[in-house]
Amino acid sequence: MTEEKPYGSQNPVLAVDRILHEPARMQIAALLYVIDSADFIFVMNQTGLTWGNLSAHLAKLEEAGYIQIEKSFKGKRPNTTIKMTEPGRAAFKEYAIKMRQYFDDLPV
Amino acid sequence: MSSNLNLKEIEKRAFRSTYQDGLWDIYYGLMVMLMALFLSRPADGFGWLNLVYLAAGYMAAFLLFKTGKKYITIPRLGQVTFGKIRKQKNRTMSIILGVFIFFQILLLIATVLALVNPQVGNWFDRQLAGKNELLLVSLVASIILCVSMSVVAYFQEFIRGYYIAIMMAVAVFLILFLERPIFPILVGLLIIIPGLVLLLRFLKKYPLPKKEVDHD
Repeated sequence: MTEEKPYGSQNPVLAVDRILHEPARMQIAALLYVIDSADFIFVMNQTGLTWGNLSAHLAKLEEAGYIQIEKSFKGKRPNTTIKMTEPGRAAFKEYAIKMRQYFDDLPV
Repeated sequence: MSSNLNLKEIEKRAFRSTYQDGLWDIYYGLMVMLMALFLSRPADGFGWLNLVYLAAGYMAAFLLFKTGKKYITIPRLGQVTFGKIRKQKNRTMSIILGVFIFFQILLLIATVLALVNPQVGNWFDRQLAGKNELLLVSLVASIILCVSMSVVAYFQEFIRGYYIAIMMAVAVFLILFLERPIFPILVGLLIIIPGLVLLLRFLKKYPLPKKEVDHD
């Protein structure tokens, strides 16, 4: 008798990183992957997300350990610097490879 | 929100977004106008004081540019630090520009030697005999500037930089060849005006965020 594999283990798309698979977070991660660091306003402008939406997605990415958020003050203004961590970069790379594999195998 | 996930494109778009404020255009245009004002030889001759005025003008223009970036661009667009590839490109650009500057220094030394040492001066005169000296100098100076500025435009992916390069070359040619400041000043305006239009569009597109709150 063969051992039954868990659901989705043979389907790479079901094994993808759910944190990065969400379109807005993928957009944020892609931007942070190609740059070194950016502040909150820059990420907001580049992704087109609203203040609250971006804030929520950043919190999720930070929770997963994919990004690092540093809060400081520039003069009297609060400034938030966002940077992708090494595990975040590795996860994004792996996500991209998995998605590419999935679509490469798809007979179109 | 864009659905394009081409990483190179995302990086390029992010990088180019830092140029959409038009401040570089205004800065280069001011440089051209200052050159026109202080390097065009007036009828009563060229004075060293002109160089002092030019240096002071350049400093003022740079200060204006930096102030604009600090108080107009960054609060609206945000701040970004680019990755290793971009830093490598900047290093390559600096090396190439360094070579250009080296050749310009050689030309400057040759000019000074020709002015100070009559033997060197005579040698240059013999080499340039029968040629239009002023035209030659004007062409060489404008070509050097055009190529240097094009190198900056290429490495910085600053598309408008090619237009600025051509305009600056035309301005330098007119400064040296015609020695009348009005034409290069007009060329400077042709660089500044698109910059001002871009600045206005930038201000409209990126209003100042209403309040900078704790992002939690």
